[in-house]
Amino acid sequence: MMAAHPTRGLDETVHQRHRLGILTITSEADSADFGYLRDALELTPGNLSRHLTVLEEAGLVQVWKGYEGRRPRTWVKITAEGRAALTAEVAALTELVRRHNGMSSAKPIG
Amino acid sequence: MSPTDTTPGEGSPQAEAPATMLGEVKRLRGEARSTRHAYWLPLVLFGLVIGGSAPFYVVPAPSGQTVVIGVSGATFPGFSPLLGGQPAGIVYWLLAIGAGLYLTSVWYRRHGRRVGLTTPARGFVIAGIIAGALLLVLPAVQFLPEDLVVRGTLPFLIVAAALWVLAHAERSTALAVIAAVFTATSLLASLYNVENVVFRLGWIPTGNEWRLTTLPNIFLPALVLLASGAGAYVAQRRKRVAA
Repeated sequence: MMAAHPTRGLDETVHQRHRLGILTITSEADSADFGYLRDALELTPGNLSRHLTVLEEAGLVQVWKGYEGRRPRTWVKITAEGRAALTAEVAALTELVRRHNGMSSAKPIG
Repeated sequence: MSPTDTTPGEGSPQAEAPATMLGEVKRLRGEARSTRHAYWLPLVLFGLVIGGSAPFYVVPAPSGQTVVIGVSGATFPGFSPLLGGQPAGIVYWLLAIGAGLYLTSVWYRRHGRRVGLTTPARGFVIAGIIAGALLLVLPAVQFLPEDLVVRGTLPFLIVAAALWVLAHAERSTALAVIAAVFTATSLLASLYNVENVVFRLGWIPTGNEWRLTTLPNIFLPALVLLASGAGAYVAQRRKRVAA
């Protein structure tokens, strides 16, 4: 039986550059600040909000608002499902790259 | 580059080259780790705590005509009172390690709020408390070999255990290396008289200097933490300035 093609491991919600970026950053910390995500991913606040909504609705991140003094701050935390989705996405991408490199090196010369 | 305005719906499985996306994941991961790293302070803090314990390790002045030379169980404050340690030394260690763990957790909370990425420092505090409790209990039930407890430097191993947990929380290879070197140094300080090395380097104690011959066992691990902390501070500051 043939193994499933690695693209089957790609999730539409996660397989998007910025959303993958959000999951990557939040997986590296206990929680990430909205401002940090916006700057690191070079997104507008509105766009980041929309991406966060998509991820939150999929249960991949938790978003909560708090105050630091009078300054409002929004924090994002990856969920266990988000961590699993990120691991699966990175594994699928790694497998795709591996297959692509294998195919490139197997190409006949000339 | 200006902030990108993309629609969340974009990004079909074919939209981005896998290698590009993996490269981006690697870059963002590296940046996040680098931003989050703040371990220079706990290294310096516990280096000072260990260095500050030196007065408790000075060999007491002889009460009679007999001069106590070198290391003996009675001259070192063991972590457990059952080891015949000085009560002041034990109180110092309990307070200093407790304060060090608390200050470290406060430091990480503040650093996390400042940079926008928080580090789970709870594990560091919990590891310190568990290791402290174990080292308080184990010598009492004679679970540890006497060679390891006789010099009273077991508290160093509490710090070592906490550093390993911190290296994991920080996901830092550099801190793991520092924790390994510190653990080795702590074990050396617990099992060997470091003064012997100092003697070979040319220090010949005279008169009351004999009372200080125990201090190399304290200063060596302290120096490892202070030097590592200073190095980490410079490296972390450079990275931030470069970013």
